[in-house]
Amino acid sequence: MKRRSLSRTVISLCLILFFTLAVLLPILTMLTRITPAGFRETVSSPQFLPAVKNSVLTGLTATAISLLLALAAAFCLERTSLPGKAFFGTLFVLPMLIPSISHAFGLVSLFGANGFLTRLLHLKGSIYGFPGIVLGSVLYSFPVALLMFTGILQYEDGMTYKAAEVLGIPRFRQFTGITLPYLKKTLISAFFAVFTMIVTDYGVPLMIGGKTVTLSVLMYQKAAAMIDYDTGSVLGALLLIPAVVAFLADLSSPEHGQSGFVTEPVVPKKKGTGRIFSFLFCVLVGIFVLAPVFAFCLMVFETKYPIDPTPTLAHIKTSFHRGAGSYLGNSLLYSLIAGLFGTALAFFSSYLTARVKGLFGKAVHLISITSMAIPGLVLGLSYLIFFHGTPVYGTVILIALVNSVHFFSSPYLMMYNTLAKVNPDLESVGLSLGVGRFFIVRDVILPKVRYTLLEMFVYFFVNSMMTISAVSFLSPPSPKPLALMINQFEAQRLMESAAFVSLLILVINMALKLTVTALRRRAEKAGA
Amino acid sequence: MELRLSEKLKIEGVSKSYKGSGGVLSDVSFTVGEGEFLSLLGPSGCGKTTLLRILVGLLEPDSGKIFKDGVDITAAKPSERGMGIVFQNYALFENMTVLQNVEYALKFHHIPKKEARARAEKMIEAVGLSEQIKKFPRNLSGGQQQRVAIARTLALNPDVVLFDEPMSALDVATRLSMRKELKALQATFGTTMIYVTHDQEEAFALSDRIMILNLGKISQIDTPEAIVKNPADDYVQSFVLDNLQAKVDSLARFTRGKEGAP
Repeated sequence: MKRRSLSRTVISLCLILFFTLAVLLPILTMLTRITPAGFRETVSSPQFLPAVKNSVLTGLTATAISLLLALAAAFCLERTSLPGKAFFGTLFVLPMLIPSISHAFGLVSLFGANGFLTRLLHLKGSIYGFPGIVLGSVLYSFPVALLMFTGILQYEDGMTYKAAEVLGIPRFRQFTGITLPYLKKTLISAFFAVFTMIVTDYGVPLMIGGKTVTLSVLMYQKAAAMIDYDTGSVLGALLLIPAVVAFLADLSSPEHGQSGFVTEPVVPKKKGTGRIFSFLFCVLVGIFVLAPVFAFCLMVFETKYPIDPTPTLAHIKTSFHRGAGSYLGNSLLYSLIAGLFGTALAFFSSYLTARVKGLFGKAVHLISITSMAIPGLVLGLSYLIFFHGTPVYGTVILIALVNSVHFFSSPYLMMYNTLAKVNPDLESVGLSLGVGRFFIVRDVILPKVRYTLLEMFVYFFVNSMMTISAVSFLSPPSPKPLALMINQFEAQRLMESAAFVSLLILVINMALKLTVTALRRRAEKAGA
Repeated sequence: MELRLSEKLKIEGVSKSYKGSGGVLSDVSFTVGEGEFLSLLGPSGCGKTTLLRILVGLLEPDSGKIFKDGVDITAAKPSERGMGIVFQNYALFENMTVLQNVEYALKFHHIPKKEARARAEKMIEAVGLSEQIKKFPRNLSGGQQQRVAIARTLALNPDVVLFDEPMSALDVATRLSMRKELKALQATFGTTMIYVTHDQEEAFALSDRIMILNLGKISQIDTPEAIVKNPADDYVQSFVLDNLQAKVDSLARFTRGKEGAP
């Protein structure tokens, strides 16, 4: 028994050491670059205050719109008998599969100076600046908020509403008295999560911000373009603030996952005008969500968008001539390594915290969910400063590592929740039968959680394919990933290639997602 | 009735406490005879499950010793104790069929494949599941799943089997038939059985002796008859006997009515 707790301690310490090296030390190294003088200089520079104002204003506006849209869409999906529910459910999360910069690029190609809709509808005014940042950020964050809301609505107990009906409580009062209080915590979490996501993203404001420079763009300009790491570190530390607040807010709310006991799900009414309204609403949201993707298709497959609509495959060919193929190769390699390494790491960590527990279990759990609070830009700059001059710097490994750490929390929590639900006595039974923990994990637990493992892999893979934040500081010198080419192609006015790259990332991610979903469905059917 | 069995297990001054809470078990000592059926009876949180896990080696006691056949096994690994345990939630391997569940552990004990298969089939037959041998746990009823768990444990020929509230998830009718089967299995294999339950009726129906635990201490350990005749303290009287009497009384009203009918 002493031996068992020893190996447990050794594994825990290895994980803690890993996270210290891969998360804590890089961040601390970045923070130690901040000097009082540097801080004063940064905050007193003429760009600073406008950037803070722009970030807060665009962030709050986009968060409000995104949450309202997502809440309404979640109600349509979960509380009405909307026709085509599964279709809309899938459609609405499509934006999660393309980089944030692509959303903004889609908006530019639709509403920019030469945009498809600008010409078609003779639109006046400009999409660049505040409206573009807000719209792009809404597109990018909407699916995240939607998943949070549908997740919580799915687990609401229908019995409460039946009881309310019997007690004669009117529908509106049911909404204000039952539904809203039930959603309160999720609304708060979603607000912080979405606001942080928007404020720390630089893809949308970089592409469509024009003269409206946000904090994240300023940080990118200073640290990545002008190689001013000291100012970058100050701005990075400031960007950590909303992220840390969001993290603490999430940590203090006890309802992680679906607690409570659902006796029966809420069943939407079959008839009524609500059904038609929600259908129309979902069609509109669907058009909004799909518009950038639609624009990419036009640009890639038309000879000269928006002037000559003759179908062609020439743009795909020229994109490959411009190097899209080799960047794709880089991205696939990064994503594959991050997928495999990240999944293995997340499995070991969650196995330790969910099933072995012990002295260091809590520490590993806390570190594991902390990576969620670190914006990609900050992580990227930290890695640049910390790993500069080490053998991994400029290699494929460093990018794969930064992606594994950056996207670690969600897959970790997926497996943590799954493992917590697996029969707690399996390992004990094994021990009493003379079958060691390793064999029980290999022969019983891994087969049981294999689809969660697959989903974790897909999460790491998909996000590594589309991330532009941390990697922008590390490549070059590391080989460039595909997503970073969107900005580069656009800057060179190679719009078709930028659109093709966006579309390519979407198609690869979608194919992977659909395959895993189909596999899981088939297995569930076979198991039923 | 005095039981005269050779001593199988001897527990000496076992104590266990968890950080943050008080003592779970304090200075527990008792013996279990060869082939005996001993029930550990007590309310939730009295330390029954902790005691069972210490016996099988899944938990380490803070102090005290455990002897089996006169050998100190306090520090032995669970697999070296020759004991099996059946859990309340069965803990079956869901990705394996009934046969694979029973057969799985045998290969870790260097039993040749053919022999392992034959032994697993024999055990499955003994618990009456031969027709379900190729089914997965999800396609079995609660009672059938419990039988698989028992067969899996017995397949390793343990001379002591521990049961942790094995029937609490079963319906009343299944429980009654499982009781009979358990006694029959004990008669067939001569296994010593220690059975944790919070159900007084079950303890009285199954046991050679009952150990009543309260707040981590033994209130009384004796045969059912002796407990009924001489309850050791108020706790045994109120928790065990009064509750049991209430059940008997409520049934008696109907049986009296039946007998009294013309």
